[in-house]
Amino acid sequence: MVFTGYLNKIHIKSGYIMQECVQARHVPIRNKVFKKASVLNRASLLNYVVALLIILTMNFFIPRLMPGDPLQAIYGNEALLVMTPELQEELIHRFSLDRPLGEQYASYLLSLCRGDLGHSYYYNAPVLKVISGFLPWTLLLTGLALVISTLVGFLLGVESGSRRGRPLDQFLLGGIMLFSGFPDFFMGIMLLLFFGVFLSLAPLSGALTPYAGHSGLMLVVDLLHHLVLPLAALVLVRLTATYLLTRNTMITTLGEAFILTAKAKGCPERVIRYRHAGRNTLLPVVTAAGLQFAHLVTGTLFVEIVFSYPGLGSLLYKSLLTRDYPLMAGILLVLTVVVLTINLLLDIFYPKLDPRVAKCT
Amino acid sequence: MLTIKNLKASYNGLQILKDINLNLEKGQVLSIIGESGTGKTTLGRAVMGLLEGSCTGEILFKGKNLLTCPEEELRRIRGREIAMVFQNVEDGLHPLYSIIYQVMEAVLVHGLKDKKAAEERACEVLELVGLDNRRFLAYPHQLSGGEKQRALIALAVVNNPDILILDEPTASLDALTKAEIIAVLKRFTRETAFLVITHDISTAADLSTHMAVLYGGRIVEQGATGDVLAGPRHPYTRGLLRSYPNMSTTKDLQGIPGRMSHHVEGCPFHPRCTQRIQICAAEAPLPVVEGNRLIACHRGGIVPLLEVRCSKSFGPLKVLQDVECVLHEGETLALIGESGSGKTTLAKTIMGLLKADEEEIRLEGKKVTRRTIDFYQRVQMIFQNPGESISHRMNVLQAVKEPLDIHKTGNEEEKLERVRQVLNEVELPGDDDFLKKYPHHLSGGEAQRVAIARALVLNPKILIADESTSALDASVQAKILKLMMNLQEKRGLSILFITHDLALARKISDRLAVLLKGRIVEEGPTSEIIYHPLHPYTRALLDYAPLLEDRSVRPAGSRWARRACDNSLQAAPGLKRPPSATSKGCSYAHRCLAVKERCFEEKPELIACSPRKVACFYPQVD
Repeated sequence: MVFTGYLNKIHIKSGYIMQECVQARHVPIRNKVFKKASVLNRASLLNYVVALLIILTMNFFIPRLMPGDPLQAIYGNEALLVMTPELQEELIHRFSLDRPLGEQYASYLLSLCRGDLGHSYYYNAPVLKVISGFLPWTLLLTGLALVISTLVGFLLGVESGSRRGRPLDQFLLGGIMLFSGFPDFFMGIMLLLFFGVFLSLAPLSGALTPYAGHSGLMLVVDLLHHLVLPLAALVLVRLTATYLLTRNTMITTLGEAFILTAKAKGCPERVIRYRHAGRNTLLPVVTAAGLQFAHLVTGTLFVEIVFSYPGLGSLLYKSLLTRDYPLMAGILLVLTVVVLTINLLLDIFYPKLDPRVAKCT
Repeated sequence: MLTIKNLKASYNGLQILKDINLNLEKGQVLSIIGESGTGKTTLGRAVMGLLEGSCTGEILFKGKNLLTCPEEELRRIRGREIAMVFQNVEDGLHPLYSIIYQVMEAVLVHGLKDKKAAEERACEVLELVGLDNRRFLAYPHQLSGGEKQRALIALAVVNNPDILILDEPTASLDALTKAEIIAVLKRFTRETAFLVITHDISTAADLSTHMAVLYGGRIVEQGATGDVLAGPRHPYTRGLLRSYPNMSTTKDLQGIPGRMSHHVEGCPFHPRCTQRIQICAAEAPLPVVEGNRLIACHRGGIVPLLEVRCSKSFGPLKVLQDVECVLHEGETLALIGESGSGKTTLAKTIMGLLKADEEEIRLEGKKVTRRTIDFYQRVQMIFQNPGESISHRMNVLQAVKEPLDIHKTGNEEEKLERVRQVLNEVELPGDDDFLKKYPHHLSGGEAQRVAIARALVLNPKILIADESTSALDASVQAKILKLMMNLQEKRGLSILFITHDLALARKISDRLAVLLKGRIVEEGPTSEIIYHPLHPYTRALLDYAPLLEDRSVRPAGSRWARRACDNSLQAAPGLKRPPSATSKGCSYAHRCLAVKERCFEEKPELIACSPRKVACFYPQVD
């Protein structure tokens, strides 16, 4: 810690009484600050648990509230036609459909705790296993899209905001506003047509070249080659919100009194732009990134379908086509959990960014 | 060290600073005072090179012109050689960094690589400004206003700058915190030259060695702080001081008429000035050195309207012995003294109603030899007894209109209009019923106001009020005095207020002259005389000035009562007192408690004892 050096100095300078005094007073304050921070995390954690429970409950009730037989809702009419009574019996037993609603709910939660999201009849495998094959691709795509769009949007916003009205600002503002008009799947299609079809610069589908047997660096290159277009589609569209927010916040922040103080200190332009104004601008941007994440996930689902990217989007699409209800429910649940987790992480991270949040519980 | 030459600054075509010339030396604390919007902050920012508008002229710092310096060089000067603390304490610190980090940064951005050293320096300075060392790691939102101001000061002085610019360093702080901050700032005045921008005159008075008064983008008065505060010479400075609530002055608060505007040709203050002449609107006055002051005024500052020196005796009785007094524009001079001291005689002599033995009277610098009609147009008097001073045969209209008839101003209709207007000014009804009333129909207060209206109808510059309210009850008196003070504020009426009531004089006068047996024995700023009377006679008058409590039970330490019950002032034992005043010695000697042998032998001269005059061999100092 920066401060320790100073404490030592006091020790030498003012003798032991002063030193003890400072330490005795100083240490508890630090502990207190720390404690407060952990209290905050516990409280917000509870919020997330409640949110998760509500989502789980909805996930449970919705198929059971739909008109008709839940089994019919799951397998569709065609499947029911060929189903033998024995099979139907077994399925009813498996879903606990023959027992009271409360017990059904309890067994649903219990099986979730065991990691049992049900059985995908199309893949004939446990849902969790199917999903875990697709989830990493989605996480890779969304995660990167989130990080890159926030980062690039922020940097462009800072540069643009600090040059308000000058050519670079006007160019960026115009260009980025143009992209923001497109929905992400449309952007995906355009990119695919242009770079994939006309220029043949990028592969048209998939996440890896099948059966190529790449390993090491080649694997990474191949992976990035497949990733670049869907990622670009997501980033280009998601960029706008961050960019505009950063730019506007930058402009107001640059008018604040503490910027004047920084200038009077003699800080170089770059330091003022990033350390002073930029740091302050980061706060709403991070908040907005958390809020946007849910949108980003839905956007990813569409983009994956466009690029036949083997992520949850494609899986969800397939499960819709095949009416693989347990799989569908599983995917939605997993996505929900992912979104919640990301938001929780941001909440934990945020007080480190803004000391003012740390004090209020 | 810092020289500002012909600095002009404008935003969006509006010129805020017009021709500023200033000089700041090492060890000087120069305060810039003025109302908000006069360009104080603009001046500070211009020196820092942080002005958004455009500047012309020269700001020379160590021989370099800061206005033509490249930005990178300016940046290196900022914070290291010239630092500034801005006005806004609440948002002046970055909300996301700890205090110590922000102070350290100020060191680090100027090239120091060693973080440990920067940290130590930051701690040292933070301790010097009196911030509790448990607060070093705190964030701005955890600090109080006073602590933030300390941190901001630390941040500015951490590099030992040559010049520190403080923009309203004590605004929005409570009195105790303010005093602490000023004490902190004083620790740095030896090393650093300060430019203190403030509308808080008490801060300026406490902190600065020199003072410049800024109005409408021009410096109107400049001088040593003590001189400017004791005797403001520009009407604007006087207005500022009069409207500033403080514990030093005793006169009721008065404002400055009108509002500031940047679109003024000529002297920026002339639309609000009560002594403007034609040239004021035409061209801006150049600053000129006059005595201990630099002043920019076509009239050379507040003009002495009436200068009087006269002697008068009735037979062998010398009623006025070489009395000298000066009445400035827009000022109240209270003439105090017991009955028989010659107050009324002086008033009547000035008005020419009594013929003086010897007199020299100057009106606006011109010697008055004959009381012409013009003289009376400028100088009017309200007499002691209002009921008697209005002719019983004249009704209100005739009484008030008569001066207009004599001076032949306008036709009947205009005169009537003017009468109604002036009656309205003294808050009397202007309807026909009232105009037809005779003096015996009026109450004491009404009659007095009619007398005042009669005196004011000619729009005089000087009003001599001889005990004009002593016959009235206090509430009516208060109203009438408020009216006179308002007229003084609005059109710069000068009042020679003759009274025996010190408590009253204290509230309405700028200066006080104490008259004793036809001589002025003490004269000076009212607050000075009230708080630190030098002449034993003045002290005696003060001891018996009205109080709202029992004199004998006033707690120890209260200024006047202590003196009243104090018997320590005893005449030297064995001193023979003559039964009454002798022509040879001091006229107060036979009553004085501090009398010594010499007092009976010689007459003390009125000698200057800055900022006042006193005629006593042994002035009493607390």
